[in-house]
Parts: sequence; structure tokens; C-alpha cells
Amino acid sequence: MIPLAHIPTPHVDFAGLSPLIAFLGGAVLVLMAGLLGPRKVREHGVPLLTLVVLGVAAWLVIDQWHANKALVDGAIQLDSLSLVLDLVLIAAGVATVLLAWRSQAGREAGHGELQALLLSSIGGMSLLASAQNTVVLFVGLELLSIPLYVLCAAEMRRERSLESGLKYLIVGSVGSATLLYGLALIYGATGATSFSGIASAITAKSLSGDTLLLGGIALTAAGFCFKASVAPFHQWTPDVYEGAPTPITAFMAVATKVAALGAFLRFFDTALIGSHGEWAPAIAVLAAVTIVVGNVGALGQSSLKRMLAYSSVAQAGYMLAGVVVGTALGVKATTLYLIVYLLMNLAAFAVIVARERETDLGDSIQSVAGLGRQRPWLAWPLTLSMLGLAGIPATAGFVGKLYLIDAAVSGKYTWLGVVIVIGSMISLAYYLPVVAAMWMRDAPEGALEPAVAASPAALPVIAGGSPELDDLVDAPAAPARGAHLEVAAVALIAGSATLFFGIVPQPLFDLVQHVGRSFGL
Amino acid sequence: MSQTTYGWLVLAFPLAGVLLLCLGHRSLPGRTAGWIGSAAIFLAFLAALGALLTMQSHGADHRQQVSSLWEYAVTSGIDARMSILVDPLSVFMILVVTGVSTLIHVYSVSYLDKDRGFVRYFAYLNFFVLSMLLLVLAGNFLLLIVGWAFVGAASYLLISFWYRRKTATKAGIKAFVINVVGDVGLVLGTFFILGHTHTLEFLGSFHAAEAGAFSHASGDLVAGCILLLVGAFAKSAQIPLHTWLPDAMEGPTPVSALIHAATMVTAGVYLIARMHPLFERAPAAQDVGAVVGAATLLIAGTIGLVQTDIKRVIAYSTMSQIGYMVMGVSIGAYAAGLFHLMTHAFFKALLFMAAGSIIGAMAGEQSLKKMKGFRKAMPFTYGCFLIGGLALSGIPPFSGFFSKDEILLIAGERGGWRWILYGVGYLGAFLTALYTFRMIFIAFHGKPCAEAQELQAGHLHHAEHPFNPADGEIEDTDVGFPGPSHAIAERALPMRFAMSLLAIGAVGAGLIQIPKVDYVVDDFLKPSFATSALYEAHTRSGILIAGLIGGTLIGLAGIAIAWRIWGSGAQTATAFQERLRPLYTLFAAKWYFDEAIDLLVVRPAAAFGRFAKDTFERTVIDDTLVGGPSGLVRAGSALVRSIQSGLLRYYAAMIVLGVAAVGLYFLLQA
Repeated sequence: MIPLAHIPTPHVDFAGLSPLIAFLGGAVLVLMAGLLGPRKVREHGVPLLTLVVLGVAAWLVIDQWHANKALVDGAIQLDSLSLVLDLVLIAAGVATVLLAWRSQAGREAGHGELQALLLSSIGGMSLLASAQNTVVLFVGLELLSIPLYVLCAAEMRRERSLESGLKYLIVGSVGSATLLYGLALIYGATGATSFSGIASAITAKSLSGDTLLLGGIALTAAGFCFKASVAPFHQWTPDVYEGAPTPITAFMAVATKVAALGAFLRFFDTALIGSHGEWAPAIAVLAAVTIVVGNVGALGQSSLKRMLAYSSVAQAGYMLAGVVVGTALGVKATTLYLIVYLLMNLAAFAVIVARERETDLGDSIQSVAGLGRQRPWLAWPLTLSMLGLAGIPATAGFVGKLYLIDAAVSGKYTWLGVVIVIGSMISLAYYLPVVAAMWMRDAPEGALEPAVAASPAALPVIAGGSPELDDLVDAPAAPARGAHLEVAAVALIAGSATLFFGIVPQPLFDLVQHVGRSFGL
Repeated sequence: MSQTTYGWLVLAFPLAGVLLLCLGHRSLPGRTAGWIGSAAIFLAFLAALGALLTMQSHGADHRQQVSSLWEYAVTSGIDARMSILVDPLSVFMILVVTGVSTLIHVYSVSYLDKDRGFVRYFAYLNFFVLSMLLLVLAGNFLLLIVGWAFVGAASYLLISFWYRRKTATKAGIKAFVINVVGDVGLVLGTFFILGHTHTLEFLGSFHAAEAGAFSHASGDLVAGCILLLVGAFAKSAQIPLHTWLPDAMEGPTPVSALIHAATMVTAGVYLIARMHPLFERAPAAQDVGAVVGAATLLIAGTIGLVQTDIKRVIAYSTMSQIGYMVMGVSIGAYAAGLFHLMTHAFFKALLFMAAGSIIGAMAGEQSLKKMKGFRKAMPFTYGCFLIGGLALSGIPPFSGFFSKDEILLIAGERGGWRWILYGVGYLGAFLTALYTFRMIFIAFHGKPCAEAQELQAGHLHHAEHPFNPADGEIEDTDVGFPGPSHAIAERALPMRFAMSLLAIGAVGAGLIQIPKVDYVVDDFLKPSFATSALYEAHTRSGILIAGLIGGTLIGLAGIAIAWRIWGSGAQTATAFQERLRPLYTLFAAKWYFDEAIDLLVVRPAAAFGRFAKDTFERTVIDDTLVGGPSGLVRAGSALVRSIQSGLLRYYAAMIVLGVAAVGLYFLLQA
């Protein structure tokens, strides 16, 4: 008989971990379901199962809404910030599942694989945003990144998709390595891996000017900036966003940013708050550079996805302002902006997905020309999304930006607030042309005529293969055309939420009220 | 239902009306739109009555109730709510607004019949009523500003309703611009007050002011109140922001009756009364209001004497009467000012409606020079005009007698330099009687003109070509111009109905507040002015009796002189005009206010604008400010795109460079 009883095991709070367990367990479940027999089950059952998993996770999150506790020996913090961000991630996940439901990516990569990778990526993001320990932080980061590399290349027969995945993998590895190196240096300087240990070491040993620590902070900041696509570490963003399947781009644009900024907030505002005076100016400069680069880069882009990629760079710059100030207001402002950012981007990407399926123009700005007359139910969400991203009043984007500027100004970074305003001004020059194209231009000739689809069999097999691929080759009909109901629903819900929270922002203020409570700011 | 629920209903019905008319504008046949619009406002009137009854069932201390529908943004430093304040003052206002509006909607159904913009007209009109109700029900500064601006926009839309008339569109723009000056004043004044009270809510602000948020004779408070007055002057057409109101007569006549006589232009009076806890702590601002009101009542009265356009005469009369109200609420005669607001709404709307009826008989012609002797042809219109005129001139027992005299009585009671206001007020009363009966004697008495004779013979005059009465330009009757039909009260039941009810109001409304007999308005409004130090103390008899008798005599004297000049033959009028040539010229040129504003504001602004456009814009703005940054942005964009080569090795290099730069910065910190 083996005496197990006296082995000291750490107390594991399974209730607190349950959302994470739901994500990762769900991923396994979905992967298995993807192996099930008939194609119909795979095509519709798997996404449905994923939605169920996400719904369960959402329930588990809401169930412990007021929790504020450390899990797994202080490695993970379950607090208002991680719960709110979990909810945002789940929303992004649900939208992505809906957008990918009948997408080419799902058919080519296999629904089971696609959704399982999506779920594990969400799991990684959730872990990253709640990490309270550098080791967990890095695990979370890789758990989010590796599935994304694969997802970017999910349309295996499209060269740009593969290119996007490969680029993301290589550049992403550089970013991860930089971050890891930075974390190692911080460990070397403070002798601690837990955030609280690092923080107390900085104050106790008055390390704030220490070379080793500052070197570590520099590399860590660079690594985070890479994930959040902050200039000058943003260059992968336009290429990867443009190449990746659009539902995946949507997911990357919103969810990655949520996780990266969540980790940014937690790491810099808890572990490194002791040397706030040292890192804040640097991050502020990075934010300003990002706002400028993102906004000028987006000008004159004819691809909507590329434009939104640059726009997401600029938006990351705005959100960094909340990190820079290192105040409770800053944390709230960034979190609030993440929520509205999610809504605005989902609306935009959903419309792009819909138009990609309806026309042959892909994600070119041409594809939405004349949309106002043709498909007002798609044109309105995109209009609201563009106006919201530009920060026009009566949209949620205005409220979010106002809050960020408020945080910047009251945190003594008024100049950064001014940069945000100037950035928004420039941004009108690329958001408004989209609106103009929709309402003031005519649809290009024959855009809606279904073109003769190239037979899937004729496509070159560039890499990989899957059971779905064989189905695809066998499938007699061309991929279904026409806007799908679920895609339009995502656009409409996200668009009307953008409008609603612009008029009634109070629920958002209430939602982020307790965020950052556990930071001790 | 609570009184605030009724308050929300008062807003909900016109909103529903607007939406219904806007969405259904293609499918509403005939006069349906007009009846829908009227019904929406009538339901709002019923809801206002509901609010009144529930409110009166509460004790005096519980009659001020605030209800918040949702919070717009309540966070540090700001509390923006969708909240309304239902108290005796706002209930008084919504009753007047919805009551008069209902009648004017009904009148319009006939008056704008066959106009191609019929549905649009009622959509605008409902929108106006909604805005006005929002303005008076607002429970905080934010919503007040929203209502204030909406009212200005609705007024613009309705003045320019016949949008192909150049004179109408110009008048609309003028009204809008001057109203925006007032909006700016209101917003800035709000900031001055918000800066000290830290709340947008009215009651909260007032409590803060009472608790000493402002130091004694605080400069900020005086500045804030004077800026509020700028808003009030622009909306209420007080000097020097009054020039838009006469031009606003380009709108359809019912619009003039509703917006530019009964409701919108009284918003300034309401504002001063509503803000009385602030104004009473800024006596300097109160004095500014009183003096400007007095000046307006006198100057507008003199201009009214010589105008020849019948609607413009009534418009100047409106300015003059609002001068009384502004003066009243600025010297603490709140109940009297608001009482006059109510009676004025009745008799002035009535006068406009009667004028509209004559204009209908003249086929659109508005000049008093061409009207003559309509007494026999239009007995009903004549009766209404006479009732309105007697009420306006302050002849007992008509309503204007009681309300006007009460304002002046309180001016006299407060004494000191306010005796000047008292004197000016009675001088104004004399002018009022004079210009009112000038209109009546010219238009209704004497030998009937051709149109009147035609009407007596049973046929309504139609002009050969429709034309613009302002400049005589020939028009058609398509959308954007008035429709082909002209309506007169004698032949349209809805018009007669509306005018009869208003005539009853104009005769009888004064009886609810007779000095020494009853004080209905005083007692009703008291809870809203509970904390006021100046609220009417009932009256010393001496000046009361002197005022009542003197006021009557002055009114009668004015009528008598008007008869002597204009009633007994055209020669006397011309003779007078010759003898008083300099005065006549001054009045006819409207005291040169338009020219003075043109010289002092418009021309310098235009010259500056030309300089800015030709010189400043080209070199500084276009070349330096726009050219510079936009060139910079374009160059930056090119740079960013050129770095974006698509080649991975450059990206990696860029990351290394970035890390190096960030690392260097941090190492320099060490």
C-alpha cells in the first residue's frame, strides 16, 4: 500500500480554474468530435459543440463574477480584470466560430482541428491575462501563439494564407524569445518569478535603477509590444492579417489584443509598478510612435483587412495610454476600450467576411461600394464600426477614447492625450472613405454575379491535407455564396452594440468598475 | 401613475407622432397626417392634465419630482442623466405648450390643406412640440441644452418650410445663426455654473447654490447668469438679438402663431424663472435682464407702429410683450411674468390666426396698405381679432389687462430705480393699444377693398399668379412654395374651432388671477419658487388701484388716438407721418438695428472672412497648416509602406533595431 496521504499537495481551487479547464477540455472534446462520421455532423455539429463549450465557460465566468482570489499557489489571479477579459475573449470566440462556420478555412483545415485550435488559443489568452507569475505568463503566451500560427495557415490551398502563417511563426518566435529573455533577466535581478515577489523585491532592494532589471524590462516590453502589435514591432501585422483567413484575422485582431494588453496591464502595473518612473516614459513614446505609424500606414490602403490591421496598430497605441499612466483609472480605461474595440472590429470583419462570400472582390474596398443601397443591413454595422473606430460621438468608440484621454490627462500624460486626438484626426482620412464608398458610390459592375468558381481539385496542393480536403475535392457544388445569416447576425449585433453603448455607456462603466481592484493601485 | 410617468408620456406622444409621420410620409392620404399630428399633441395635452391632477394631489412639499429614465454617463466629475423635472413650473409650461399647440395643429389642417409639403409640415411641427416639451421638462442642464438646440433647429426648418422662397430660406438662416449665438451663451453659462456646483441636475445645482457654492456676489455666477441671459435673449428675441423674429414671419402663419408667438420665444422667460435661485444670487444679472426687457418692450412697440406687413406688426408686438415678461421674471415677478406668458400665448396665437385668415382672403398678400374694410366680409375673423386686440391692449376684463398690470405693479412695489421700469411699462402699454388698433382700423374698417367686396359677394379672391408677399416674385404652387388653396376662418371649421377656443382663453384666462380676489397662478406656482426671497408678497392697495385704473385709461387713450389717426380717414395718418418725419423714419427703419448689426458684426466679420479666405487661408492654412501636416502624413505613409517590404528579414531586422532602441533607453536610465 502506497502511503499517499502525507504527500503535501498544493491546494487547487478547481472552481476558480473551471473556465480554463472548460476551454482546454472543450478543445479536446471538439477535436474528437471532428473525427465523427458524416460530413454534416462535422460541418455543423462541431461549431455547435464549440459554441456550447464557450457558453459553459461563460456561465462558469459569470458564476464567480465577484471572485477575487489567487489560484494555484498564487500563480494565477482570478479577479475582476481576468473575469471581464475572459468574457470579452468568449465573445470574440463566439463571433469567430460563427464567422468560420461555413468558411473555406473550416472546410480545408477540418472543422474539428480549426475549432480545437481556436479553443486552445482562447485558453492561452485567458491564462495570459490572469497570469500572476512569469512562468505561467510565458506558458500562456505560447499556448495562445502556437495555435494561431496554425490557424493563420488554415486555408492550405491559398498561398497568402500559408505565407501569413509562416511569417507569423518566424517573427512570433523572435518576439517570444525576446520576452523570455527579458523575463529571465528580471528573474536574475529580483530572484522571483511571481509578480508580487518581483514587486516586493524592487521596492525592498530599491532596484528601480538596476541595470539587470531595466534590461529585463526593456526586453519584456518589446516582447509584449510584439504581441500587441505596437510599433516598431508591428510589421508582421498587416501581412499576417491580410493573408490569414478573415474569421481568423478577426479573432487575432480582437482576442490577441485583449490578452496582450491584459498581460501588459497586469505585469507592468503590479510586478513592475515600483519602477513606473523608468518604464512609463518609454512606453509612452512607444504608444505615440504606434499611434502615428498605425494611422499614417492605414492611409491609402485598398485592402480593408490591411487597413484594419494598421488601424489595430493605432488602436493598440491608444490603449497603451491606459497602461502608461499606471493608475486605477488607466486600467479601467484600457479594459473599457478593449470591450468597445471588440465590438467595433467584429462588426467590420463580419461585413468583410460577408462581402468576401458575396463578391469576387475579396476584401478590397471595392467590395463594399454601393453597399448602402444594396445591403443596408450590412452597411449600417460597417458604418457604425468605422465611425466608432474614428471615435465619433454617439458610438461606443467615442466613450472609450474619452475615457482613455481622461486617464492620460489625469495621469499627467496630457501630451499623450493630444497625440490620441491627433491620431483620431488622421484616422478619419481612412475610415470615412469606407463609409463614403458604401453610401455614395455605386456597386461595381457585376460584383454580385457569382463567378465561375475554380474547381477545388484544380488548386495546387501546397501543404498538408485533411479528411475535409477530400470531401472538398469530391464536393460537386461550388462553395456556397451569399451572405450567411450568422455572419450578418454578428455584424448586426456588434454594430448595434457599438451604437447602444455610445448612447448608454453606463453598463460599460459599471462592468469595469472593479477592474484593477486587486492591483493595489 | 405618478406625475413623472405622465411627464414621460407628455414627451412620448409627440415623439411617436414624429416617428409615425416621418416613416409613413409616403402612405398617408389626404389630411390624415394633420389629424395624426394633432392627435399626438392632444394626447400629450391629456397627459399634461394627468400630470397636473396627480401633482395637485400631493402636498406642496412633494410637488417637485425628478425622474431619470437612464444614466447617460455618471462618473467622476459629471452626472449626465436622461432626467426630467416635473414641478408646478414645468407643468404650467407643458399645459400652455400642448394646449396651444393642439389648437394650432387643428388650425393648420385647414390652413395648409393642398400644400405639397403637408406631411413634412406636420412632422416638423410635432418635432417642434417635442423639442419644446423637452426644453421645459428637462431636469438638468444637459437635456435643457438638447431641447434648446432642437427648438432652434425646428424653428429653422419651419421658417424655411417653403424652401424655394429665397426670402424664407434667408430668414431661416438668420434665425438659426442668432439662435446658435444664444446656444453658445447657454452652454458657456452652464459651464460657469457646473464648475462650482459640480452637478448638471437643476435641483442639485440650486441646493449647491443655496449651500454656498458661490461666494457672495461671485463673478463666476454673474458671468454664468449673464451668459444664460444671452441664450434667453436670443430665443426670446430681446434686444440686440431680436432681428430674426420679424424675418421669421416668412414661415407659414400657424408657425408664426405657435413658435414665434406662443411657445418658443417664451423659452427665455421660462429659463430665467427656472434659474431663479441662481439669478437671485446675481442681482447684477437680474438688472441686466430687467433693463433689456424694458428697452425691448419700448423699442419694439415703436417699430410696430409703422410696419406695414400685418404679420410683422404682430411680431414686433410679440417682442414687446416678451419684453414685459423678461422684465417681470428679472425683477422677481415670476408668477406675474408666467401668467402673462400664458395669457399672451392665447391672445397672440389668436391674433396670428386671425391675421392668417385675412391673408387667406387676400390670397397671400400681407401688406396693411392693401387691406381695407374686412369687417363685414369676415365677421368671425373680425370678432377674434378684436378680442385679441383688446386683450393685448390691456382693456378690462380681457386677460392681458390682469397679467400685464401685475408685472408693472410688482415693478412699482420693488421701488427705487425700478419706477423707471414702471413708467416704461405704461408707456409701452400706450404704444401697444396704438399699434394694435392701427391694424384693426386699417384692415377692418373703412371702405372695403376689392378683395373684401369680392368676399362679400361670396367669392374668395384668388391671385392670378401666386406670388411672394415679401418681394412680389411670381411663384408656382409645387412643393417648396405655398399650395394653391387659401383658407379663411369663415369657411373652415377646424380654423373656427381653434380660434373660438383661443378667444375664450383670451377673454377669460385673466379671471383666474384677479388682485384681491383670487391668486390661482400665484398659489399654483409657489412650490417651484419655495426658496425664492422675491416671490410675490401680496400687494399694497395704493399702487394697485392706481395701476388698474391708470392702465385701463392708457389703453383706452391709445385706442382713441388710433381711431383719430387711422379710423377716421387716411388724411390724418399721412399728416401725422409728415409732421413726425424723423421719428417715423427711425421707427420704419427699425431703429437701424439690422444696419447696426450689419456694420458692427456682419461687415467686420465678412471683411475678416475675406481676408482669412484670400490671404490667411491660402498661405497659413492651405500651405502651412494643411499642406504641412498632410504632406507630412503622406510622406509618413509612404515611409511606413516602403518599410513594409513583405520580406521577413527586414521585419526581423526592424525588431532587433526596436529592441536595441528600447534597451538603450532603459540602460541609459540605469
